Amino acid sequence: MNEESAKRGDDRDLLAAEYVLGVLDQAARQEVRRRIAADPDFAGIVADWEARLAAFGDAYQSVSPPGHLKAAIDARLFGQKAPAAGRFWQTIGFWRPLAIVTSLLFVLSTAIGLWNGVFLPPPAGNLIVSLQAEGSPVSFVALYQPGTDAVRLSPVSGEAEAGKDFELWLIEGDNPAVSLGVLPKTGSARIALPPRLARRLVAGTTLAISLEPAGGSPTGVATGPIVAIGQARPI
Amino acid sequence: MAPGQDDIAELITRVALRDRRAFALLYERTAPKLHGFCLRILRDRTRAEDALQDVYVKVWRGAATFAPGRASAMTWLIAIARHHAIDVMRARVVVEDELDTAGEVADAGPDPEHLAIAAGERRRIDACLDELKPERAEALKAAYVEGYSYEELARRFAVPLNTMRTWLRRGLMSLRECLERR
Repeated sequence: MNEESAKRGDDRDLLAAEYVLGVLDQAARQEVRRRIAADPDFAGIVADWEARLAAFGDAYQSVSPPGHLKAAIDARLFGQKAPAAGRFWQTIGFWRPLAIVTSLLFVLSTAIGLWNGVFLPPPAGNLIVSLQAEGSPVSFVALYQPGTDAVRLSPVSGEAEAGKDFELWLIEGDNPAVSLGVLPKTGSARIALPPRLARRLVAGTTLAISLEPAGGSPTGVATGPIVAIGQARPI
Repeated sequence: MAPGQDDIAELITRVALRDRRAFALLYERTAPKLHGFCLRILRDRTRAEDALQDVYVKVWRGAATFAPGRASAMTWLIAIARHHAIDVMRARVVVEDELDTAGEVADAGPDPEHLAIAAGERRRIDACLDELKPERAEALKAAYVEGYSYEELARRFAVPLNTMRTWLRRGLMSLRECLERR
């Protein structure tokens, strides 16, 4: 490394440190955040500083927040009235918009089906998802070409223990995870996507793999630990 | 890594799966700690509570971006809370010198063991701070813990802005060098 690039590296490190310490003004903080989003290397340097300075956090005392706060957060995220009256899916307020959305989706999907190929723009760039998780030896890479009906998965490391299966899940927005199916025991996999799910696999959508009883989750929701997770991003 | 960190990492990945029960559990286990950060930095109960709401909305939305292996789960959560609180504070036009309300409402008990930063880590950073000039170590701690900007630190330590910048920049680089050595 020559002197000039070493200097640039130091500047980057210093900026990350100042950001984590919290001393930069708001304009500089926003600039740093843009860099974190755009530059994974720089994001890593920032994460290293977060870890380095975390021990300062011992100076903070824990203070229980007031009881109503969680209900207020739920209300913001899930549109639930605070305090919660009954389970949200038992209320008509949940089912009515859902029914309307479902009918709209049906009409839309029919329309899209009819017009597909006439008006739809050519598919955007391919998507890649790198799936991994803290402390898990399992990692996969998933590839998806928008407009096609299957996602391709390649194992990088790790395999399901005997008598268990890996199951693939799609998570979009605030919606519960939807199963995309059980992965084969070994090798790459091609997981078919019904059109309604294919449309939901866009940049930012999350894919996750959980460890389930043989044959997949018996309940329709992930029951086992998440062994790998990642967000789709354009290649 | 402190005991319980794995459970928190597991809860965050469950939250990424849109598991509301995991979200409730994560909140139960981590909200007092993150609330403590917001209170200390914002020094105002209502603002801290509003900030804490925003923090958990961010946690729900950003759970899938939790970078495995790079940061511990608790460090990831703390970074979201601290930076949000600092942003809220910076957005305020006037920097007031309020009474420190954080102390009044603090719980008497110590942190739950699973959230405490490992004692070894704390000793390491303390030993490295001891290698710095005392006023520089103090300024570094005040910057992190209180969320003060360069301007506020310069005012509080009664030194020119450029001096404070030099103190902290040199302090940070010495700290890194020391932590890597130990």
